[in-house]
Amino acid sequence: MTVKWVGKRMMLGILVLFIVSFLSFFIMHAGPGSSATAYYGGNAQTLTAAEKERISKAFALDRPMIVQYGAWLKETVTGNLGMSASVGRPVATILSERLPNTLLLFGTSMLFIILGSIWLGMAAGMKPGSLLDRGLSTFSIASSSIPAFWVGILFIYVFAVTLGVLPSSGTRSLSGDGGFVDKIKHLIMPASVVVLTHVGLYARILQDSVKSEMRSYYVMVARANGVEELEIRRGVLCKAFIPYLNYLGITIPSFFGGSVIVESLFSWAGLGQLLVKSVMVKDYPLLMGGIMLTGLIVVITLFVIDVLMYILDPKLRRGELSG
Amino acid sequence: MKTRKNLVFWCSLLGLTLVLTLFSDVLATHPVNEMDLDAVYAPPGEGHLLGTDHLGRDVFSRLLQGGKVTLTVAGLSVALSFAIGVIYGGISGYVGGWTDSVMMRILEALISIPSLIFVLAFQAIMQGGMWGMTVIIGMTGWFTTARIVRSEFIRLKDAEYVKMAKMFGTPAWKIITGHLLRNSMAPLFVVTIYNLAGAVFIEVSLSFLGIGIPPSVPSWGNMLYNAQNDILIGAWWIGLFPGMLIFLTILSINFIGEAMKDSGRGRFHA
Repeated sequence: MTVKWVGKRMMLGILVLFIVSFLSFFIMHAGPGSSATAYYGGNAQTLTAAEKERISKAFALDRPMIVQYGAWLKETVTGNLGMSASVGRPVATILSERLPNTLLLFGTSMLFIILGSIWLGMAAGMKPGSLLDRGLSTFSIASSSIPAFWVGILFIYVFAVTLGVLPSSGTRSLSGDGGFVDKIKHLIMPASVVVLTHVGLYARILQDSVKSEMRSYYVMVARANGVEELEIRRGVLCKAFIPYLNYLGITIPSFFGGSVIVESLFSWAGLGQLLVKSVMVKDYPLLMGGIMLTGLIVVITLFVIDVLMYILDPKLRRGELSG
Repeated sequence: MKTRKNLVFWCSLLGLTLVLTLFSDVLATHPVNEMDLDAVYAPPGEGHLLGTDHLGRDVFSRLLQGGKVTLTVAGLSVALSFAIGVIYGGISGYVGGWTDSVMMRILEALISIPSLIFVLAFQAIMQGGMWGMTVIIGMTGWFTTARIVRSEFIRLKDAEYVKMAKMFGTPAWKIITGHLLRNSMAPLFVVTIYNLAGAVFIEVSLSFLGIGIPPSVPSWGNMLYNAQNDILIGAWWIGLFPGMLIFLTILSINFIGEAMKDSGRGRFHA
């Protein structure tokens, strides 16, 4: 049962990646404007038609699109992502330089969001009608209405320009050695912007489900039988955690999209910033690589969440719900 | 009752923003691209109600005109995504069976991709323009709508009156528009409201990154793009006001959605 379930999930993940690659490849190559633009560099005007044709031939850009896609897919599966058109270095190398930074930002903010929202959601949900309970609902709507980058701009104004306590952008100081403390200092602002704009939303989902669990029969019975409060809380959290995880899974893609913008604002040298740059210079190999890697991270995160849900939800394990 | 009051309040706030931006041609005190190089970075006050930017352009006028651009792009793109979502979800839900399974697997895959990535891929080929942006946001924003239309259609397909209509030989398009679609309007409306907030978000974010609406056209996102640098020299007014308006607009849209959901009109069966 379990093996079959895991296999099915993995197949779905691979299917997602395949669709991502197919769609993004064709979207990029279907548009007006030659996909060779990035190879021309800034010389598009001065190159002769013959030279342009030579470039097209050299990179097989004159072949039918489906052939190009097939070739790309074959190389990608074997781990060769090609050369960046604008920088002339292997895409895989560029991506591997960027990946740790993105994972650091993504991981740190995710960790704080989960811890913070569990704490807030539980505290608010256990005391219906309290100030925290009502306040959290409003905070969650308000915080999800603010563009993250605007909060970022305000943060830069307050902490970097006015107070001067934190660096305004970048992943390391020019003068610094790029050590651990330096990195953390640069991480504080982007991570807290992501956390602040997301934590309310997730806390609210947990708050709502904790509230409805607290009203349920089994809690009343447990109370009547004198089960300890701590034990009840543990049980309620376990049950309320399932819709929470579900919501987490649904929003992971857009959460990841949001951190792209934060990365760009703080010049955080991660994948998101790289994607935006490669759009600007029409560096298709790099963009394709970046998109695939982002897709892979999302698929893996979704898989982990699915496994967690499988462990927590007995209904899913018994196969009562189709996963 | 309280929900009702909230709804009225947030609707009027959104309405006020709409009216202000819609009549921007009349209300603007300066032409949007008029540069006053003697009054660069003028703080809010006499002459320039909300100050000027790095080229001496009037922030107040650009704010109104920019709002018109941002809200037009958002509104039209939501209309587009509504249409795509209804058609995709409608076919999937109405036809059912094998077609439904295939279409849903594809949708599942599409939902797990950050839509910002698709927007980036589209943006790479189309390179901006107001209409380009509208199409891009519309084409990446229909997933939830499609899901809801599909589940509503499946739920309604078994209703007595639909079976009855089929028995009497009512044409399919009449059943679809008159019965199925009309009865799924309430949840659809709520989703569309949230989509609108999302569309404003995407336009603002992309223009802010410098890959959205071209810099010559003022939009709220574009204004914030410039504000990034201006804030470093202490010109807070250029970033503050567009940000406030974006915040208030999305906030009122979200609260309206919330109020509609609470009033039980927008039941979800997604």
